[in-house]
Amino acid sequence: MPDQTNKAVPAWEVRNLTKRFAGIVANDSVSLSLERGQIHGLLGENGCGKSTLIKMMMGVHQPSAGEILRDGQPVTIAGPTAARAAGLAAVFQEFSLVPTLTVAENIWLGNLPGHRAKVDWQTMRDSATEVMARLSVAIDPEATVADLSVADQQLVEIAKAIATDASMLILDEPTTALGLEEIKDLHRILRKLAAQDKAILYISHRLDEVEELVDCVTVLKDGRVVSTAAETEVSVDAFVAAMIGEISNHYPKVDNVRDKILLEARGLRTANRVQDVSFNVHAGEVFGLGGVLGSGRTEIARALFGVDRLLAGEVKVDGKTLRLRSPADAVAAGIALVPENRKVDGLFFNFQGQPNMSISKLARLGSPAAMSLRTEERLTHELYDRLEVSASAKDRLVGLLSGGNQQKIVIGRWLFAGARVFVLDEPTQGIDVGARAAVYTLINELTAAGHAVVLISSDDNELLAMSDRIGIVNHGRLVDIRAASDVRKSDLVRASSEQETAA
Amino acid sequence: MNALLRSPIIAPLAALLIVTAIAALTTPRFLDTGNLSNLALQVSIVAIVAIGSTFVILIAGIDLSPGSAIALLTMIFAMSVKFQGIPLPIAILLTIALGAGLGAFNGFLTAYLRIPAFITTLAALSAFRGMAFLFNNGSPVFSVHDALEGIFYGTFLGLPLPLYYLIILYAAAWYVLRYTAFGRAVYAVGGNPNAAELSGLKVRRIQFFAFMIAGAMAGIGAVLMAARLNSGSPNYGVGLELSAIAAAVIGGASLAGGRGNIINTLIGALTIVIVQNALNLNAVPTSVQTIVLGAIIVTAVGLDMWRNEIGNVLHGLAATRRKS
Repeated sequence: MPDQTNKAVPAWEVRNLTKRFAGIVANDSVSLSLERGQIHGLLGENGCGKSTLIKMMMGVHQPSAGEILRDGQPVTIAGPTAARAAGLAAVFQEFSLVPTLTVAENIWLGNLPGHRAKVDWQTMRDSATEVMARLSVAIDPEATVADLSVADQQLVEIAKAIATDASMLILDEPTTALGLEEIKDLHRILRKLAAQDKAILYISHRLDEVEELVDCVTVLKDGRVVSTAAETEVSVDAFVAAMIGEISNHYPKVDNVRDKILLEARGLRTANRVQDVSFNVHAGEVFGLGGVLGSGRTEIARALFGVDRLLAGEVKVDGKTLRLRSPADAVAAGIALVPENRKVDGLFFNFQGQPNMSISKLARLGSPAAMSLRTEERLTHELYDRLEVSASAKDRLVGLLSGGNQQKIVIGRWLFAGARVFVLDEPTQGIDVGARAAVYTLINELTAAGHAVVLISSDDNELLAMSDRIGIVNHGRLVDIRAASDVRKSDLVRASSEQETAA
Repeated sequence: MNALLRSPIIAPLAALLIVTAIAALTTPRFLDTGNLSNLALQVSIVAIVAIGSTFVILIAGIDLSPGSAIALLTMIFAMSVKFQGIPLPIAILLTIALGAGLGAFNGFLTAYLRIPAFITTLAALSAFRGMAFLFNNGSPVFSVHDALEGIFYGTFLGLPLPLYYLIILYAAAWYVLRYTAFGRAVYAVGGNPNAAELSGLKVRRIQFFAFMIAGAMAGIGAVLMAARLNSGSPNYGVGLELSAIAAAVIGGASLAGGRGNIINTLIGALTIVIVQNALNLNAVPTSVQTIVLGAIIVTAVGLDMWRNEIGNVLHGLAATRRKS
């Protein structure tokens, strides 16, 4: 197709887009232009209006004012189907794949090739193979989606999105579930798509990753553009400054390490690939676990917490060897686990915040046969204040809260239980900058109180900045333990590439 | 208004009031004192079994077996009193304990061997009924004990005794769910079993006990059933599980677990029984009655699911009006 459009006219543009919901302004005169061949980052804290903007572009919501232009011409996007027809494709945080169908079927779902009731399977497979080739990925179109890794599922989502020949691709937090190497792959694919003249709008909470990938960045705050693509310098510091409106110490690390050893792990081995893992964590210390997704960090956490049975080795808290038969034993010994996936493993969505926090230590509410709900109310409200949970979040079902407030409630559960060893698995995943700062402050409070923290994070900057010592995990083994100040980001990256070559 | 509309007790209570009003208006005999005390007798067994159904539904399980368990237990109870000469109080306690044992069996299969509750209790529905027919060559046992009928038909302060059993058991269940660590754990395990495990709760033990409570309630139901007709029969309790589950669901309990309220279950049980009673008074055949029961269940669940949306619409309207 000859390119007759003027390069100066952006492929897509939104101009003064405004959206009001029952009197609340979610987007206030937002303008962006998305050029062909450019990866455009969109940043902002939770609730800044990013989702509303995308939903208007995808036809889910209709703008209250303003317009959307394709090749300089205003277009109306009546709904998701119209959005696809107009050349817009989006990949959302939550997957939209059907796990029991094959890759090819998923890619063409809702758009199956063939005539009436008869599906043309051959065409479907061939075109799926062709889309995969465009992405330079090797995923079997015949494979069932449920059998794929999370990273491959993410790629199938993208394949599905570009299969309709979209001129713009919107990605909302596509890397939440991916490891370092997989993120690199995704970036490579996105650059390739940009080189094929697609416009890409990229949304992520991982600022370092955005810094690495994008060509320009627009920052939203309270539904308005606070820093345009032309103004924003592509650097993490500039992002943070624009998002929270001030330049603060991004990682407020405080050194609280004491002499006493609080947690000892000796020769841990589980059926879940953990091999000969030994380390100590001092009172007041943050012990970071680095390594790629799937290196065995989460499995070490599970072993410490009694989820996976120990085949060998022992765990000591305060010098006392634990009998770890279940998480209940770990909880009784004062170990806390803030799980990686708080929605699946952390929260009780049928509860408000208060019972979510008290559940691990109901004994604090009195006899098990006569709990005092008034005591619960008082103790949990103290925690709300201490954790700075927003006032509007109190007395509401936790499903209605922001990711940051949800995470504070999961951490609050362990403060309520009086835990002394905190295992934090990706504690800042999917929460905004403000809530992250609160989590960091909380880690400092924990160490100041003499508690031990085991921190697992895929955010290398966070891991390096917040840990006192770092253990690098590879294939379920702890291959190296060093002071965090002696670890370079490149060491972590190298550790993960070694894993790749070893595998 | 809005808060009231969203309160979980409103929908079942409204349903109960509407049903009662219709029954009172269409059926002259409905409000007779005789009929009202008859209602208390009719509702007692369903409502007591529904306590167990609610516990099991709260842990995201389901119990299809109480009707069959009651048949089996009435046979054992009747035979042990009539033919073995076991004193009535002891036989009553044994029957309740045996019911708890049957529930524990369901609980063991479901919680520890991880066979889905729908399957284990469906199997039990079949097996318990079959076992009931093994006793006394499959024939009912009549005239069990002279004192037995008094347990069901007796009165205290002019009110039928089953009303007191009902109040005591519901008060106890309400207290357990609200003020005990076990009750809280029941809601937590039903709401999110993964999170419950990782919060240090003994998830399987909680599930096990929920089934055991359901079994004990079936045991109490069996004693009342035997007392009502002074007999035991392998044909008792057919379809009772459906009424009991319906009572919980009409009361707003979520089959996904973790959401539900025991007082609402009582309201649900009353609703069902009042409808049945009104239909009976109007000589509507049983076949039609069961169809009506099905329609009530679907309507109640549908209304409950739409309730939040109706609330949202009203909320949106109110907000717009304030703006303009």
